[in-house]
Amino acid sequence: MHKFFSALLLSVISLATIAADDPWFLLEKTAYAARELNYQGIFVYQNGKETHSVQITHMNQAGREMTRNVVLDNRPQPGQAREVYRHGENIVILRPHNQTMVIEKRRGQNLFPAMIPTNIQAIKASYVAELAGMDTIAGREAQIINLTPNDSYRYSYKIWADTQYGLLLKMALLDNKKQALEHIAFNEINTMDTQDINWFQPKIDVTKQYVTKSYDMKDTSNHHQVHSNWFVSELPIGYVKVDHRALVVPGKTTTVDQMIFSDGIGSVSVFIEPLTKGMRPKMGHMQMGSTNMCANVIDGHQVNVVGEVPETTCRQIAKAVSLNKQTALNK
Amino acid sequence: MKDQLSALIDGELDIESSEHLIISAKSGGELKNTWATYHLIGDAMRGEAPLRQDFTSRVMLALEAEPIVLAPKATLSIESDIGNITSITINKSSHRTSGFWSIAASVAAVMFVGVMVLQQQVNYSPEQVIMVKTEKVAPTEALAPIEIAQSIPTEYLQAHQAAAPTGAAYYIQDASFVGSNK
Repeated sequence: MHKFFSALLLSVISLATIAADDPWFLLEKTAYAARELNYQGIFVYQNGKETHSVQITHMNQAGREMTRNVVLDNRPQPGQAREVYRHGENIVILRPHNQTMVIEKRRGQNLFPAMIPTNIQAIKASYVAELAGMDTIAGREAQIINLTPNDSYRYSYKIWADTQYGLLLKMALLDNKKQALEHIAFNEINTMDTQDINWFQPKIDVTKQYVTKSYDMKDTSNHHQVHSNWFVSELPIGYVKVDHRALVVPGKTTTVDQMIFSDGIGSVSVFIEPLTKGMRPKMGHMQMGSTNMCANVIDGHQVNVVGEVPETTCRQIAKAVSLNKQTALNK
Repeated sequence: MKDQLSALIDGELDIESSEHLIISAKSGGELKNTWATYHLIGDAMRGEAPLRQDFTSRVMLALEAEPIVLAPKATLSIESDIGNITSITINKSSHRTSGFWSIAASVAAVMFVGVMVLQQQVNYSPEQVIMVKTEKVAPTEALAPIEIAQSIPTEYLQAHQAAAPTGAAYYIQDASFVGSNK
């Protein structure tokens, strides 16, 4: 941590004049601080009516991130907490489900406070960054940075960055009326000066059965399968496809096509499945906190769009899903 | 004791000096569960795929195909089947006692973990919905009337949260995530 910090400090000093008033520089510092520093704290996550307190312990050990998140509330019984462990690119979630504990594996994701991408160029084209005063979060001095989109295809973000370490202390997601949809903020934060990793070990409840669950996904990005004949003809500007997979859903006879699009911060998934006998085709739009869902029927297929993006983006993507029939026939 | 068990699984503890741990883990109870669970979590963390549904049948098939070499009778059958190997088997018999026990111990350990995992897989199966065979609708066939979407399908919400490059929403318990219509 010290090594990183002194390196960071040197670059801060050498670029002092630029750094002081360059919000992009501060955002980049925020992105690295979340991944490189060793810290422990409690943050509160609020989306719609949902509020959760989460205890986080983060350590960077020789370039590999180790994180433990423990959800402190909503325990069905004492001792049954939802825990998230991250080691490098591997994420394992342990969550209580009835009388069992489910071990769920996920691939690497940017989790709070690492919400800003380290490749800041990826978001520069779609957002304007501005300094917006000072504040105090969890007893620490914070610089507020507003990240405002150039268009209506993405939310605004309000970011509170620790003036000393650069760590993201708070983040709010705002709609185009500047109303907050989602908050995530530290209540308590401390840096850790230890190499002890005893905390990186789940507490085993011996009275519970542990069962595994994984999202059975076949990566189709490198294969020319019929799946890849689906595309979004008019993708909102700034969004790029980051993944295309065949999702296996229990109860469904065919795999579901899942395409994931991101603008660097916000992301949205498109699910496409053939309409089968007995299935009721659905259309419409719904919102829950920052999450929007749009359903549409295209070419005998059910299309569902789900993501933390504005309704406009959701609707446009749901309308623009197309099947490249020419390629499909030639295969 | 659990810390020692964890260290043993991580290969930080000498096997020879851990006999008491293995014995207690084998005898059942709390330590047995902890042993199995640590392995399950370890596998998940290392990114090893969970067992497939037909694991049991595949193991049983493999076991049937495998010549049994641990019991003396099986050795005899090998002797009569493949004459060349006989001498090797007999020559090795001086080391047999220790070799036999270490093989037996490792087989027991593998079986033990395997059985634990199998039990857990079997117990887990009710949560997985059995596939229902449905016919694909022909393009000309009339579809059911279109409905207004009432809720965000949980499986898609979870799949999005699991695959999104940036995520915070996984703190939300799945069941409570019911949206409002607009």
